[in-house]
Amino acid sequence: MSTPTELLWRALRQEGADFFVSVPCKLLGNMINLLQEAEDVVYTPVSREEEGVGLLAGAWLAGRTPVMIMQNSGLGNSVNAILSLLHYYRIPAVFVMSHRGSDGETIEAQFQMGSAVANLLTATRVPYYELSSVDDLNVLPEAMATAREKGQPVGLLLPFSFWKGDA
Amino acid sequence: MKRFEAMKAVMAAVKDEPVVVTLGHSAQELYQIGDRPQNFYMLGSMGLATSIAHGIALSRPGKVVALDGDSAVTMNMGELATIGFNLTPNLVVVIIDNEANGATGFQPSMTGKRLKLDEVARGCGIQNVSVVNNEAEVTEQMTKALADKNGPYVIVVKAEVGIAPGIEILPFTSEQIRDRFKQAIAADSAA
Repeated sequence: MSTPTELLWRALRQEGADFFVSVPCKLLGNMINLLQEAEDVVYTPVSREEEGVGLLAGAWLAGRTPVMIMQNSGLGNSVNAILSLLHYYRIPAVFVMSHRGSDGETIEAQFQMGSAVANLLTATRVPYYELSSVDDLNVLPEAMATAREKGQPVGLLLPFSFWKGDA
Repeated sequence: MKRFEAMKAVMAAVKDEPVVVTLGHSAQELYQIGDRPQNFYMLGSMGLATSIAHGIALSRPGKVVALDGDSAVTMNMGELATIGFNLTPNLVVVIIDNEANGATGFQPSMTGKRLKLDEVARGCGIQNVSVVNNEAEVTEQMTKALADKNGPYVIVVKAEVGIAPGIEILPFTSEQIRDRFKQAIAADSAA
């Protein structure tokens, strides 16, 4: 049986994603391990999410379909770049975000950003999809078409429930 | 040598390579030196010009030039770490270092005191790092960097403060800048 990480990876690749950057989160450890071994895609870790937005923009200008693997807290580090770079130039990108502070969270410090993330996404005009289980991966084609056709970032929010069974 | 002369000396070595330029007077001066569709004028998101250029360089084989400023690079110093991590061979980062924040009245920047961006770049693992002080050196380093398959290069250009006379707001919409740039570099891009 496939893990949530493997199913997410396949769904992203199916939609043409071929450029990935990542910022660490413990929920994303398996995805980052997978990216380090992946062939036929470009991958680099980045120091901070705002920097990642710049890399995604460059990748799209060079013909790629870019994705950032990040924790929801990193949305806060990216606000100006989302608006002044991605929205301003109408550049598509996908933010795959672990949703810390969702049910199952044990680190108290995660609750503040965890509860603000939906409002932040709305304020920065990033349409987002909450994937409560791997069954919800069927929204991927629509999410990525929205990014591509409207020329803007879209978000996927993946709470603890999505990662259930991730080995 | 002011930034305008320094950028002119950079562009003397550039052929059809994409150039991503940082915002404000830098973008306006590059436009005055010579507009070309391969110029990406980044007009917001201070600090990300080198990141955008790096994203392009990781995506395709040809050389890519970032034209950045000392304060902008200081704002996003982590990009030098990411460049050192990848040792992206086709990336050339030019940092015009006038030790000041030009857009706000030339207050001293961090490099005006103790910050040495060339040493930061070396500390990130980048080996081809130079500090140049006149136009001839700028063009010489740029020519070398664009010809060498074994980048990345970081060229710190020490410049005097000053803004070129007669510069103007760019006559393009953001989407015009995006579309003509994407099209101009498409031949060397991913499908």
